[in-house]
Amino acid sequence: MKVRYSYLAQQFADCDDLWLQLKEFVKTGDFTLGTPLTEFENKFANLIGTKYAVGVNSGTDAIKLSLVAAGVKAGDEVITAANTFVATVGAIAEIGAIPKFVDCNDTFCMNVDLVEAAINEKTTAIVPVHFTGYMTDMRKLIPIAERHNLPVVEDACQSILGEIEGRKAGTWGMTGAFSLHPLKNLNVWSDGGLIVTDDSKVAEHLRLIRNHGLVNRDEVQILGYNSRLDTLQAVVGNWLIPQTEDIALKRIKNAAKYDAGLRVIPGVEIPPRPADFKIVYHLYMVFAEKRDELLSYCQARGIEAKVHYPVPIYRQEALKAFGPIGEYPVTDRHARSVISFPCDQHLTDEEVKYVISTVADFYAGVK
Amino acid sequence: MSDLKIPYVNLGAQWESEKSELMPIIESVLASGNYVGGEVVDQFEIAISKFLGSPFCVAVNSCTDALVLGLAALGVRRGDEVITPPNSFIASTAAIVHLGATPVFVDVLPNQSIDPNLVEKAITKKTKAIMPVHLGGRMVDMDQISQIAESYGVAVIEDAAQSIGSTFNGKLSGTFGDVGCFSAHPLKNLNALGDGGFVCFKSQEMAGEVKKLRSHGLIDRNTVEMFGYVSRLDAIQAAVLTFRLTRLEATIKSRRANAELYRSLLNPDFVFVPDDDLREKNSYHTFVVQVDRRDELIAHLLSCGIGTAIHYPIPIHLQPAAKFLGFGEGSFPVTEKQAKRILTLPINQHLKEQEIETIAQTVNSFYGR
Repeated sequence: MKVRYSYLAQQFADCDDLWLQLKEFVKTGDFTLGTPLTEFENKFANLIGTKYAVGVNSGTDAIKLSLVAAGVKAGDEVITAANTFVATVGAIAEIGAIPKFVDCNDTFCMNVDLVEAAINEKTTAIVPVHFTGYMTDMRKLIPIAERHNLPVVEDACQSILGEIEGRKAGTWGMTGAFSLHPLKNLNVWSDGGLIVTDDSKVAEHLRLIRNHGLVNRDEVQILGYNSRLDTLQAVVGNWLIPQTEDIALKRIKNAAKYDAGLRVIPGVEIPPRPADFKIVYHLYMVFAEKRDELLSYCQARGIEAKVHYPVPIYRQEALKAFGPIGEYPVTDRHARSVISFPCDQHLTDEEVKYVISTVADFYAGVK
Repeated sequence: MSDLKIPYVNLGAQWESEKSELMPIIESVLASGNYVGGEVVDQFEIAISKFLGSPFCVAVNSCTDALVLGLAALGVRRGDEVITPPNSFIASTAAIVHLGATPVFVDVLPNQSIDPNLVEKAITKKTKAIMPVHLGGRMVDMDQISQIAESYGVAVIEDAAQSIGSTFNGKLSGTFGDVGCFSAHPLKNLNALGDGGFVCFKSQEMAGEVKKLRSHGLIDRNTVEMFGYVSRLDAIQAAVLTFRLTRLEATIKSRRANAELYRSLLNPDFVFVPDDDLREKNSYHTFVVQVDRRDELIAHLLSCGIGTAIHYPIPIHLQPAAKFLGFGEGSFPVTEKQAKRILTLPINQHLKEQEIETIAQTVNSFYGR
């Protein structure tokens, strides 16, 4: 059996109605900041439960533009998680700010108990990363940020519809940054991103800087960027958005099946599943002994397992520019032990069972 | 969609003329499930390289990003100066500022191109690059710019956002400098169905660096060599552009014919149309005339159902965003005077001869002829 990682061909195998909508759209020529984009932004804000949503070119830009709107400047320090994807740190570096790392815990998110020690007079923002579909414990982080008067930009790129105590990812901070990359839970046919906020001034600022700082066709109020979500992709987004809840539920069900099957296998450790968290499983990730051998074993048997990520961001070559950056033992342990299995909404029960039995075979020494 | 009799742009007509060929191409990209990067983008880069005769082309998300990444590849950084004209779209100046460098404006010639003599005077020890802008498709005198750059040892980055297919002495815009930056925005002559751009380099090394920079600085799935950006041309847009590139020559040809027709019809006593230098072949992304009573003329044309535009009514140095640079009214008198007189008439390839005749007659009759 083959268990593939990317499900895009299946996802869009039957989308004749979308196709018709696209044909109608292309005729209008409304390609840049067009009407379907405004519709999509409104629907997305509704979905997350914020007042505003602003479409941008990528999840990375969603973080970058949020930081700019938060007033982060070259030389400032921004606190983020040591185990994140490169994009979070890239966004910080792009505006000349300096990333300061905090180690994660076994939910793959920033250990918020370590945040306060990382704050100093240069700190201007905190970027918690809701990695893999988990959430950073915002109940603890927000009071810390408020005490130090620091804006929080949530990197919610992997956690659309994730929740703590019923409150969604992206609604806790000044802004929430989301990605619409083809491999995300809500995905379009290209790079794309969205920023949500309840603050009208922040929303207005973001709308300016995503479009060259133009207040109208001719007047440039502040220097900005060119980072617009393509209106064509908003048509795709509008088609897909009613499915988002269902996609999350299917992933949660798949994860529960994996959990039940893998939990009993010696050699596999399931991360904590706190009852008051809704984890949306952009990635289904567990800890595994002899991880590299397990990875090869699965891959050889047609399972497209992956590692997110074998080299932590804080140990990358690119970080050397920032000088000494500390040690993050939990992140290091994860880099050696995590493995991700396909968990998407198109996965079948047979495929889940096959993955579980393959992992069981590996640890039982069956060759 | 516009309700005007003769709208300024007509993207609907473009789509109608090509949808039977373009739809299957788009469908095949979607069926592939590969929407970011991949073969389709590689193919576009090869096609555009071939067209430009420049082996090192990199597809990115916009021309703004092409300018930022091009400047980054040239090593432009905080404290450096880049010489550029103030009558461009904001993106050229914004790119310089994003890298922490200082834009040094110099004024323009009667034909709106940067004045090479002023460029030479503006060079200092801090000058890292010259960024000429081929505004509307009109070629800057690249002989002079190249000569100045060479004698002072500074780089040239061409803002060719509006000038794909324009030539100077038979050589294509964007291929003179160390870097050439192009836009594929929906309103450009080579246009995608969303934002898009590309950048070509003389140096293979710089092109290689920008290929990393456009995608997080990743050299493989797991290794980040340097921090970069997310600025990738969408696969779907790359496929559209590869197809439309085959039609670019025809598009430019009909735009040139439209310009010729305008020249023969517009009354030179009232309408100044800068001549094309014998060395330059303009692709006419825009057809810009200079007139008195410009705003009245716009209103008159609009009342006759004719859409026009101004590229651009507020020079960059007078924008609120550029206040920190310390310029004001009178800093660049030629640019400022032109900003009050320039008017862009419709010139797209879907216009009929009769429509151009109508526009020209309407303009002439406004001035009483």
